[in-house]
Amino acid sequence: MYTLHYAPDNASLIIRLVLDGAGLPYRTALVDRKSRQQDSAAYRALNPTGLIPTLETPVGPISETGAILLWLADTHHLGPAPGDPDRPVFLKWLFFLSNSAHADLRQIFYPHQYAPTDAHAGHKEIISARMNRHFALLDAAAARHPRLFAAATPLGVYTVTLTRWAALYPDQGPSWFDLAAFPALTALARAQEARVETPVIARAEGLGPHPFTRPEQPNPPEGSVL
Amino acid sequence: MTLTLHHAPDFASTIVRLALEELQLPHTLALADIDGGALSSPDYRRVNPVGLIPALETPDGPIFETAAILLWLVDKTGRLGPGPTDPDRGAFLSWLFFTSNALHQAALAMFYPHRPAGEANSDAARAAAHDQIIARLGLIETLIATQSPRWLSPDHPSVLGYYIGILTRWLILLPPAPYGIDLAQFPHLHTVLAAHESRPAAQRVAADEGLGAKPFTQPRV
Repeated sequence: MYTLHYAPDNASLIIRLVLDGAGLPYRTALVDRKSRQQDSAAYRALNPTGLIPTLETPVGPISETGAILLWLADTHHLGPAPGDPDRPVFLKWLFFLSNSAHADLRQIFYPHQYAPTDAHAGHKEIISARMNRHFALLDAAAARHPRLFAAATPLGVYTVTLTRWAALYPDQGPSWFDLAAFPALTALARAQEARVETPVIARAEGLGPHPFTRPEQPNPPEGSVL
Repeated sequence: MTLTLHHAPDFASTIVRLALEELQLPHTLALADIDGGALSSPDYRRVNPVGLIPALETPDGPIFETAAILLWLVDKTGRLGPGPTDPDRGAFLSWLFFTSNALHQAALAMFYPHRPAGEANSDAARAAAHDQIIARLGLIETLIATQSPRWLSPDHPSVLGYYIGILTRWLILLPPAPYGIDLAQFPHLHTVLAAHESRPAAQRVAADEGLGAKPFTQPRV
């Protein structure tokens, strides 16, 4: 049995959607961000980076969203196996999601980690333009490889969850992201929302009735987003 | 297996080249004229739409992203890292992704400090990147000191050893004072990287690309 260390509407959401999409049993363990539980000795022993998620498995804890997705994919056949001719496509877009799309979106969540306060407006402009280029590449990849970017799959869920956060953050100022500009990602958002597990998880994490096609600010029944 | 690596000396493609040499996999280097705009050409964008190097052309089509290529090579050969059914696989993947999206990304912010918030904020971006780099190298140092993982060890070559080796090379060489790192602060990592740079495969690549005799721990241009 897996244990997913999570906080609502954090990157753990990506793992949760894939686990439930594949019907894999797991327990959740809430990380209380309000009391900075991710900095506790107990959590840092599982994941020294202090980031969420961590998945505890029979072979030990795994951290990093992309690493957990890849490990689950290889363990439970949720993506092309090594040797499959689609393996290069799967790996390159998984790492791109992790180190470019997700890493840049993180800059929009936490601008103070990257630029001084008086530069945040310019920082947002630069990073949001870069993010829209990333989404254009992902939209083209999803159109070309629909099976690999399907709802409930590792690449599909990772991509669609990033579109949710792009629509929501920063929560002040004009929006910089328009899902409708990306047809394959729009179709993916509809497909992910039509999955049976999506409303169950959306209720558990307070994501609203249309978490991907019309995202709204999270209002979780337990735990804290930040 | 026909492999073509799109490459420029002392770029991230060198990490992949080190792995290919260590694995003794025959390959062709396609040198990219970066200053001449080769990465923006339509032909190259068909190989890698992101427009970066490395990209590796394989019998199963092109693959890009340094860490994705490294992992593909591990899985293809069963060497230089734990395979999918190895109990160490999860931890190895965690640190490979961390190196890619945290250490490598912070290094890029150090080398291209205008990227986060423009030229006017380069100094602040560099200072922020420096703090992140030191913290992240510290996590890797603690990992090696406390867990001695087989996949990041002085006793066995690994893709992660070569990946971190090239990153530390640049982090010693490229940042302006006072932001260059001192590997003496990370003694366990130093030992792992010294073992990697002295391997025949690393020496061959270093000689060909002019990286010096100790390309990771005492780099020179």
